[in-house]
Amino acid sequence: MATPQMRVQGPAKLEKLEAAEQGERRYVASRRHAALRLLAAERSEEIYPVLLEEIVALGFPRAMLEVVDFDAGVLAPVASINCSKKYQQRFRTTLWAAENPIVRVLHSGTPTVLPDLATGRNPLYCHPIVFRSRNLCWEAEREHRSDCLALANYRRERKVQLQEQLCSICEIRAYAGVVLVDLTREHSERDLADVRSLIEIANRYLSRIFRTEHHYNRMTDMEVTIRQMQTVMQSMADPVILTDAQHRVITQNQAAERFFKVPENVSEGRIRAVELNNLLFSAALSSMSVSGGEASRDLTLVDAIEGEEMLFEAVCAPTYGREGLRTGLVTVMRDVTDLRRADEEVRANLALLRQAEELVRQDRDRLNLIVENVGDPIVVSDGAAKIVLVDPLAQELFGSENADRSPIQLRNQAKLDAYVTGFTFSFSDREGGPLRLVHPGSRIEIEYDARSGKIYDERGQVAFTVTVLRDLTAVRKVEQLKLEHRMLEIEKFAATGRLAGTIAHEVNNPMEAIKNAIYLLAGKLRPEATPVYDILKSETERVARIVRQMLGLYRNTDQIGSVDVNNVMEDTLLLFSRQLERGGIRVETRLDKLPALVGSADQLRQVLSNLVVNAKDGMPQGGQLVVRTRHLPALDGIHGWVRIVVADDGSGIPESMLHSIFEPFVTTKGEKGTGLGLWIVKGIIENHAGKIRVRSKPGRGTVFKIDLPVVR
Amino acid sequence: MKRKTHKHRILVVDDEPNVLTTYKLILEQKGYQVIGAISSAEARAALDSQELDLLLCDLSLEEKHTGFDIIDYARQRQPDLPSVLLTGYATVEVSERAAQRSVTVLFKPIDISEFLETISAHLRNAHEQAKASGE
Repeated sequence: MATPQMRVQGPAKLEKLEAAEQGERRYVASRRHAALRLLAAERSEEIYPVLLEEIVALGFPRAMLEVVDFDAGVLAPVASINCSKKYQQRFRTTLWAAENPIVRVLHSGTPTVLPDLATGRNPLYCHPIVFRSRNLCWEAEREHRSDCLALANYRRERKVQLQEQLCSICEIRAYAGVVLVDLTREHSERDLADVRSLIEIANRYLSRIFRTEHHYNRMTDMEVTIRQMQTVMQSMADPVILTDAQHRVITQNQAAERFFKVPENVSEGRIRAVELNNLLFSAALSSMSVSGGEASRDLTLVDAIEGEEMLFEAVCAPTYGREGLRTGLVTVMRDVTDLRRADEEVRANLALLRQAEELVRQDRDRLNLIVENVGDPIVVSDGAAKIVLVDPLAQELFGSENADRSPIQLRNQAKLDAYVTGFTFSFSDREGGPLRLVHPGSRIEIEYDARSGKIYDERGQVAFTVTVLRDLTAVRKVEQLKLEHRMLEIEKFAATGRLAGTIAHEVNNPMEAIKNAIYLLAGKLRPEATPVYDILKSETERVARIVRQMLGLYRNTDQIGSVDVNNVMEDTLLLFSRQLERGGIRVETRLDKLPALVGSADQLRQVLSNLVVNAKDGMPQGGQLVVRTRHLPALDGIHGWVRIVVADDGSGIPESMLHSIFEPFVTTKGEKGTGLGLWIVKGIIENHAGKIRVRSKPGRGTVFKIDLPVVR
Repeated sequence: MKRKTHKHRILVVDDEPNVLTTYKLILEQKGYQVIGAISSAEARAALDSQELDLLLCDLSLEEKHTGFDIIDYARQRQPDLPSVLLTGYATVEVSERAAQRSVTVLFKPIDISEFLETISAHLRNAHEQAKASGE
């Protein structure tokens, strides 16, 4: 080990040994002064002039010192005494000049007396100096190596290779140079030996100072490096922490201090946050250090200033000392809060997206399934009414763009185009209409009900139109069947009516005889028989009314066909016009233009007669009868209804009876009514597939509304 | 005065004997001279044999014969003979045919007061017309 004591002792010992070597104690004593002067030099450059002065003091006329500039590859004078500039200049040389005797001396490492090179008058003593030491340098000593440059130079194991004057251990670049001393005739061998020992001492001191200076320079360099490294560390936004083997913090940057250093003058909470962070960090370090090499780990820390929780990814690398021992850990923490948050968000969004995608897929599948199973041709067109999509059924009708199309398909397409174009540029959102197309296979014309809707884009422009073609063949067939069924029902009712009429007619004649007979008996009975007579008379009159009502059901001309309700209404009003007039009843009629109905005109006449008579009877003091007819087109455009309204402002129907007035033998007219009128009315309307409704308020009047279906 | 001296003569035609009898009795009770006919043949015979003031005739007679046939037959002889058709069939067709012949239609069952009023009105009209044409 190099200790300061040794270093002090070293040269003294050496001095002694060298003195003993040379056996010249006298020299040591007499030249102690010069040695002390050299020893006093603190810096390498101070040694040069002292050395030259001491040489001249020995009695030599002049001396000069040259050193090698390794960078330039030049040997140049650096100090001199009694040497002119011009003289000095002559000794300047490159290291490559192998023929130069001085360069040769430098390489050989051996002091040599050269014949005078410059003036030819005096020989020149040339003494090479190079960085050398008897002792290993401290680095070599510590690393137990023996290839120290200083020692190698001292031992002169090989020729001084100026190119190799760099220590592989302590990285010291050696100095090299020569001391040139002018000799005169009077200088003895002894004088020369003095100079030689003087130079050797000086070189020994120089080497020592040079080594110290080298270490000082290295230290300064390292300080710069440390400062640079610190700057780098501080300037890192991520927390960086260097810990020792016991996980104690050696150093940390500002970003780390935010989390791990207890700040001054702060709240309890913040201190606790920092303590918690340190605890978490230590735990993380312990677990990471087990792994040996580099390790990473997620760590949640609390920002002591903001109070927020932050997620870090701590990456940890061990640091090693010179001997390969682990000295601690460097931990760099990356703030992944935002990253994780973004990651989580991305994950969540991805999940949502997948969900939405799944929904869309399901919707699409469902829609496809629906489209495939609608069983009706479907056509999707774009905003310019150009067909973009057809289902297989529609393709059959219109063909496809790419394939050859038959004339029938082209004609169908033309009809469809006309319809779709009309719809696309219309103002309505939905539209329907008939479309007659020819089926290419069977060549049969089919009536379609085209239903269309619009799909708008975000700017409100028509993006697509969807048209579904409904084959009306089946609908028409059902309608036909319904119509036939209804006609059969009407026919049945008529047959029943005929039967009732026939019976009534047969009853009518005996009734007539009975009634007449009762009349003839009037006044011819004993007074006590009068009540019996009255019963006979009133009951017979009642039977007569029933018979009359039943007779109405029978018509010779009963036929089913096309009926104009307005005509029937006018006939009926005409038939009763005198009676109505006599009853003080004003009639207001509003008959709109109506489509024809299929049914029995006579039965409908009976219906209207009944209602008009009822209205008249409901207004014994006179009043107003309102009769209206109008056409209600149905939403589907196929069917419609004819509405008949018969309203009066008469006495009305009591609420208790309102629900039962269509039942047989219910009457508001007391003895005078048969209770059959409205029952027959309802039967007829229902046979015509119609509906009848009544609204009434006692004292305000009664409204009958009849809706009869129109079949085209 | 004339009314008291001359009884109006009415022919009643109906294929139902009881109906015919009761009409006859009612009218006789009112002081008319009534001739009853149970069939179209009897009616024709009655029309052939005498002058009448009024014809009351049921619409449906035996074997598809109708009241219109009788009225038409009577009008051939007495074109201005007032005629009343009695019927149970209240149809438009009947009403129209009756209107063509200016025949009053009474629907059975007949209200007797209306029946009597119609008859007396017809007779009064005929009398006034005759008086007007006589002058």
